[in-house]
Amino acid sequence: MADLDAAWPRNDYSRVRYDLFHDSDVFEREQDRIFRGPVWSVLGLETEIPNPGDFRVTAVGTTPVVFNRDQSGAVHAFVNRCAHRGAELVREPYGNCKDHTCIYHAWCYTLQGDLIGVPFQRGANGRGGMPPDFDLREHGLQKLRVAVWKGVVFGTFTEATEPLPTYLGPLMIEHIGELVDRPVKILGYQRQRVFANWKLYLENVRDGYHASLLHEFNRTFGLSRLTQISGGHMDDRHRHSLLFQYAGSDDDQAARQAYARDRVQRGEYMTLKDTAIVRYVKEHPHGITTRIISVFPNAVFHQIYNCLGLRTIRPIDPGQFEIVFILFGYEDDDEAMTGHRVNQANMVGPSGLISMEDGEALELVQRATAPDRDAYGMYEMGGTGTIRNLDTRVNEVPIRGFWSYYSELMGIEPAGAVR
Amino acid sequence: MTVDLETKSRVDCLLTDSAMFIDRDELSAWLDCFEDDSRYVVIPRENRARDYPVALIHCDNKARLHDRVTCLRHANKFNPHFDRHILSTARILSLEDGVAAVESNFMIVQTTKTGESKLFCAGCYEDRINVTSPRARFRERIVVLDTFSIPTLLATPI
Repeated sequence: MADLDAAWPRNDYSRVRYDLFHDSDVFEREQDRIFRGPVWSVLGLETEIPNPGDFRVTAVGTTPVVFNRDQSGAVHAFVNRCAHRGAELVREPYGNCKDHTCIYHAWCYTLQGDLIGVPFQRGANGRGGMPPDFDLREHGLQKLRVAVWKGVVFGTFTEATEPLPTYLGPLMIEHIGELVDRPVKILGYQRQRVFANWKLYLENVRDGYHASLLHEFNRTFGLSRLTQISGGHMDDRHRHSLLFQYAGSDDDQAARQAYARDRVQRGEYMTLKDTAIVRYVKEHPHGITTRIISVFPNAVFHQIYNCLGLRTIRPIDPGQFEIVFILFGYEDDDEAMTGHRVNQANMVGPSGLISMEDGEALELVQRATAPDRDAYGMYEMGGTGTIRNLDTRVNEVPIRGFWSYYSELMGIEPAGAVR
Repeated sequence: MTVDLETKSRVDCLLTDSAMFIDRDELSAWLDCFEDDSRYVVIPRENRARDYPVALIHCDNKARLHDRVTCLRHANKFNPHFDRHILSTARILSLEDGVAAVESNFMIVQTTKTGESKLFCAGCYEDRINVTSPRARFRERIVVLDTFSIPTLLATPI
């Protein structure tokens, strides 16, 4: 086990020890304290399972989870593991069924996760079978508590988890709420396996600073620039975050000069033959053009111009995680708007004109920090000390916010910790 | 279906040339494998199976395909690597008005700049190919990716 007492040389999380991205004991503790702890994880969208009997396989941390809709329309979620001998129960990633039957010994469960069938429970020809005191009711699937909010399905393993609206807080409710304020239509999935620690991705989506430095597409076409009106805000406990951006709020030439002065852009800026991909159709009165909304511990909602998505993060081991992107539009989008969103989906995911770089950047960090785990990364952009909202993206403060709540759940806060 | 040897030869030539251009990092030559009015899509198998339109690379016209290559050359940073396409023989499904519908399989082995190789992906090409001139070109290329949980990232066209 890493020496977690030494994890934080500073109480404001402006130094993060590389150990936290590599240590397998840390990873196990995260499963217990975070993913099976007092948090709401996003499981998926209700529209993925529109009909009774529809199911989808997902995960909470490393725990395999299924969520489905029962005959009454209610959504249930449980661990995807037979209560008998532990076989994976549901083997298709999605589908429709009347019940869930394990292939190993044909134990059968309802869509509520209750055990209703054990073949030869009373034996055969008067021999064998389960002991007489075996009670089906005591051997259902391990259930998650489920909350559905505006079509988003959340699950938690802990009875003590606070109510979902309190957990999300007003900032998340406002901004996620706006993206799912009418029935959504799934446009497709993208999946990406990154050979890096899952927390590097949680840092990445809270890192306003990198968005136009790593991603030249953002810088070139002004989707996201540090010279624009933008910022990083958090909920009161700093566990979730919102990075927001107003494209068009800076001057193209002045912005390009600012980046050139700081030696970011060394070559010519490219141009496009078809500029539809960088056209923003205004959908909300405030005119925010990009929002990266991170929900602790496993989800990100994004609006990048008119590309809308939900990303869920599934840790696999300390050095590997998967991102599942669900790209969506609305039921009432016309054909042109759907086509526009599908075109703008070119900017995100593992082949995204903006986001492909993230996979590479995270793996660079994972590789280079591995041999020197007692060393520290540095997080001072936007200032040290108090964790607070800033109206700039030259700012790493939301990352410190993440580490602060992470440490609280992990029980590794330093003395006098900033929260 | 069976077609005349000349048609078969034009199809085969386009399939091998286009893969070789990618492997040699000659993306301008690769762009020339497409007609002016053409479409190129790299789509996860799960989206294809469920009729979801979102792809990984979705270029509805040649301008967008051209832009994809421009971005790759000038903006995107990705894992430096070499590709090797391993192609199957092509199956010609139909030939109508000079356009052949063709299916073939591929695997791509990626090699790092430090010399480590691994299987990157497998999948199938669903092509519509204009075979009327000696140099055949793609009217449409749908790349269906079996390997749709993309390891690290997918930058270079498939």
